[in-house]
Amino acid sequence: MKNPAPQPSRPRIRYISPRFQGPAVLAFAAIISIGGAIFWKLVDSEFQRVFLDAAIRGHYTFDSAYDIVRALLASHLAGLFAGVFLAGSVLVLFLIAATRHGISKAVDSLRSSADGDLSTPTGAGLIGEVDRFGRKIDAARSDTLDSVLKIRSEVEALAAGGIPPGEFRLRWDDLKQRIREIAP
Amino acid sequence: MSGPETNPPPPLIDRRYIFGLLFRLCANFAGGVAILFVILYLALSRPLPWDYAGVSHALRNLAPFLRPVLAVSVLVYALLACGSTAALCVYILHKVAGPLYRMDLVLDQYRSGAPTRTVSFRNGDQIQPVAQAFNQWIGTLRRDRHRWLATMKDAERHCLQDEATCRAKMEDGLRKVAEDMKRYH
Repeated sequence: MKNPAPQPSRPRIRYISPRFQGPAVLAFAAIISIGGAIFWKLVDSEFQRVFLDAAIRGHYTFDSAYDIVRALLASHLAGLFAGVFLAGSVLVLFLIAATRHGISKAVDSLRSSADGDLSTPTGAGLIGEVDRFGRKIDAARSDTLDSVLKIRSEVEALAAGGIPPGEFRLRWDDLKQRIREIAP
Repeated sequence: MSGPETNPPPPLIDRRYIFGLLFRLCANFAGGVAILFVILYLALSRPLPWDYAGVSHALRNLAPFLRPVLAVSVLVYALLACGSTAALCVYILHKVAGPLYRMDLVLDQYRSGAPTRTVSFRNGDQIQPVAQAFNQWIGTLRRDRHRWLATMKDAERHCLQDEATCRAKMEDGLRKVAEDMKRYH
């Protein structure tokens, strides 16, 4: 008996939300680039000064240029790491807070929809992608409310009476069909 | 007697996820700085000449010589750090962007009138309460729909009797449904 041929594994796409992941990547790239530029500017000017000072001093007790700038390099590298990491952490915390704020608004909106409130706007704000998601939820709620209100006006029209029996039966059956279409 | 135990709702974004992201960023930036250090160390650790004049001359010319070396090493650091941070960022934020994308599809499906299934996210995905709240909303809508249809079917059962009773029960049922629908605003 033959074993079934293994299914080729589908590559997993991780970059699925350019409007959410893209700006975050660009912001991190900006932090790293700015950090690198500041580091380059500071270390370059320090090197210009330190090596000239060492040449003028005339008492050469070192084997390589690294021995002269060891402490300077260490402090600037530590500064670069700390600066970039702190700025990156602030960005992460901001991203998380903004996402949490927007998504919690979306969750509140869905929960209030379950209680019948389909008209209060979600207002997910701050992050573009989350805001768009909030507006999509609002559109779905609005569609539902529209459909429920139309059904309700038909229900009230039928309940008011005065409709010939034949027409009443047709509209009754149509009404049942429209109710069946809510959240299929 | 204790009441039924209910699990607390999961947080929107898990604390471990945030710490994991910060830790990975820390490791990533540390790696970038380590690479920058190695490049600069290799450039700076070449031995100086032995004689006094040679050392003096080398030190005077070292700063201009190191300028392009420094620029290239910072550029290499920036490219490597940006590349790895971008990959990390895309990978980590996928845990939030993935569920958002999935909910987008579900909402599109719902609006198109196609049958909506219960939404569940993958293990480790964030914003789990969104799926729960959506399922709760759809569940409520379905319960209401069943109740309205049941009220109408109940009224239809009276059509086995005379026409007037049937019509009266149907109109009565419709009034109940209309009253029930008033909670939607």
